[in-house]
Amino acid sequence: MTSIGTGYDLSASTYSPDGRIFQIEYAGKAVENSGTVIGLKVKDGIVLAVENLIHSKLLVPEANRRIQTVDRHIGLATAGFLADGRQIANRARDECASQRDLFSRGPELKTIVNRLGLYVQAYTLYSSVRPFGISTILGTVDKNGPSLHVIEPSGVSFGYHGAAIGKGRQLAKTELEKLKLSELSMSEAVLEAARIIYLVHEDAKEKDFELEVSWIGPESNFTHVHVPNELYKEACTKAKAALETFD
Amino acid sequence: MDHFPSNWGRPRNDAIDQYATYPIHSRPKDSFAEGVQRTQQPIVTGTSVLAFKFKDGIMMAADTLASYGSLARFKDVQRLHAVGNHTVVGAGGDMSDFQYIQNLLEQLIVDEISAQDHHTLSPAEIHEYLSQVMYARRSKIDPLWNSLLVGGFKDGEKYQPSNPRRPLPLTVYLRFLAYVDLLGTTYSASTLATGYGAHIAQPLLRKAVESREEILTEEQALKIMEACMKVLFYRDARSLNKYQVATITKDGVKISDSKTLDTSWSFAENIRGYGAQTQ
Amino acid sequence: MPGSMVAMTQPVQQSFNPYTENGGTILAIAGSDFSVIAGDTRQSEGYSIQTRYAPKVFRLTDKAVLAVNGFAADGNMFVKKVKQRLEWYRHAHAKDMPIRAIARLIQTMLYARRFFPYYVYNILGGIEEDGTGAVYSFDPVGSYERETCRAAGAAQSLVQPFLDNQIYFKNQTPAAGTQFPQHLPLTSVLPLVIDSFTSATERHIEVGDGLEIYVVVASGSTSLQGLQNLRGVQEVTGTTDGERVFVIRRELKKD
Repeated sequence: MTSIGTGYDLSASTYSPDGRIFQIEYAGKAVENSGTVIGLKVKDGIVLAVENLIHSKLLVPEANRRIQTVDRHIGLATAGFLADGRQIANRARDECASQRDLFSRGPELKTIVNRLGLYVQAYTLYSSVRPFGISTILGTVDKNGPSLHVIEPSGVSFGYHGAAIGKGRQLAKTELEKLKLSELSMSEAVLEAARIIYLVHEDAKEKDFELEVSWIGPESNFTHVHVPNELYKEACTKAKAALETFD
Repeated sequence: MDHFPSNWGRPRNDAIDQYATYPIHSRPKDSFAEGVQRTQQPIVTGTSVLAFKFKDGIMMAADTLASYGSLARFKDVQRLHAVGNHTVVGAGGDMSDFQYIQNLLEQLIVDEISAQDHHTLSPAEIHEYLSQVMYARRSKIDPLWNSLLVGGFKDGEKYQPSNPRRPLPLTVYLRFLAYVDLLGTTYSASTLATGYGAHIAQPLLRKAVESREEILTEEQALKIMEACMKVLFYRDARSLNKYQVATITKDGVKISDSKTLDTSWSFAENIRGYGAQTQ
Repeated sequence: MPGSMVAMTQPVQQSFNPYTENGGTILAIAGSDFSVIAGDTRQSEGYSIQTRYAPKVFRLTDKAVLAVNGFAADGNMFVKKVKQRLEWYRHAHAKDMPIRAIARLIQTMLYARRFFPYYVYNILGGIEEDGTGAVYSFDPVGSYERETCRAAGAAQSLVQPFLDNQIYFKNQTPAAGTQFPQHLPLTSVLPLVIDSFTSATERHIEVGDGLEIYVVVASGSTSLQGLQNLRGVQEVTGTTDGERVFVIRRELKKD
């Protein structure tokens, strides 16, 4: 951490002499500490999966979800500070509502991602605020088919075929690259997603985690919902079994 | 008589006082300066909506006409609107206000989905929401000029007392049917009709349905509905022989394609002052 | 004159009327240690019956029952707001608001809308803190008084004279050496209530279908006997000690 002690990392409104904004990079660290989140864009749908690290056994299962719905057909998953994730989801909901209000139809994800990007970026400009400590994966299926985007703490956003953020993102990306995403069916994608989350969790085995999987596509009537129970259980069993045979 | 042209009002173009040369205190008034316009009367209107309870749920019907005064302006307008999976809202009155209500309900449902709390709005909750909206607007003297029927069928959940620690939801199906209008007036009954239908069809419905709500099958209900729609088409000059029927049962909402009424007008030839006779 | 020009050129618009009348009648009679509050259940507009069952009488607490009559949408909203205020009171003070305080609250709430009134006539019945039966009646803007009996609504003009005669003994003279009673027993009051509504149903088109009679009885009252084995009676008391509330439901003619 060459930045520490130089004084250039105290504010998001200050560049370092070599043109970096350390506060944004620190925000990136907050994301790296978080449980892994992946998103898959497959043949006719989107699958989101989260490694939800359980920090207390007293938490009610399934009560603290990391995958959120912002509109009928748009799902959002965050890695990083949970509270910032809630904030971004609420902002996304407002953006969707205002698009609906204006155009009387479901918003396009591209527009929402752009507007959220602007919002996140605004928090990199001032010394009075801190940047968002999250990366956000957004997915949708609309008349143009599925699409998947990631917004980073800097406010930059990209579209992806497969995305991974959080602690295990490197391994997850490697695994995603091995898949023929454009040929996978939705249910196959759910199984793969579960397998990858279980796999990347191997590095943090001492912590408990809860797998969360949602999808959007023909199987879910093109709404964003958590996957049905049977499929979820099947995915968990198969993921555990795959761990045994891995490496 | 006001002799100052600047006080006569003007349209929003800058034909008068193009360069704003009048002193502020006597600046020409915009004709929109009087403030916002509120709905004073309905413009494009739908006529009656009918609904009643039957054994397995609720049946609702409305024709597909939107009139412009006495002109049959739009002949393929859907006036039955599904809200979520258990509720249908049927509307008479101003169609633009109804479209606004549809937008409100759509956002309401999206918000409900986004909450991800495993709660879906019941027909009773949707009706209460609409009553509050309608009453609030009438209280602003800016009403939404509609008569609405809300029909639904929702699984209420009762907890099994045997194992309170892990309560299994016991499904209880509840039929719901209620009315709300531009004044915020609400009521509920086993047969309901709005507009002209309240005068023409409601008595027929009461005779056919009251005390048989638990017996009537869907087929029987459909027959009753068709009979009433037919009478309305014969008698209501703002109606159409094309209509849709919604059925709301435990299996959810089903809104039919538009059906055409089979009517006969041969009797008209014998009526004097109508049709082909010359004297 | 700028004003007259406007009047001459603007088209005359028939403006929106935010009120309507939904018919029906309510009444309440206070006894020495009980109170009876009743209303029919028909809701109508013009010549159309909207529904045969729309309650106009509402239990507020175990010692207060409110009947509302006039414009139904205003009535329902008003009851909703009164109930909300009573709930807040309960949260703040851990007890039910006394009926005389409810009466004053209702006045305040009605008068707050003096220039866009709730178009409703309210009658509040129940048990006072000293255990006596009470009836408070209001006009739409909050003017109120405590009375022994009051009828309101569509058939007020039919029912009130009857009550004046039968409860206040107006136009009657007592037999020599006797006096009219200050309060009638419940067994005399209930038939009067039922007769009031059957008569109003006969002569007024907006009254009928169903009758709901609420009876609030002070704790330890002798009126309890004879009430429990009445036809169609149902207890709706919320707490275990203190006043008790009952509803009696009867059919009225539906024509």
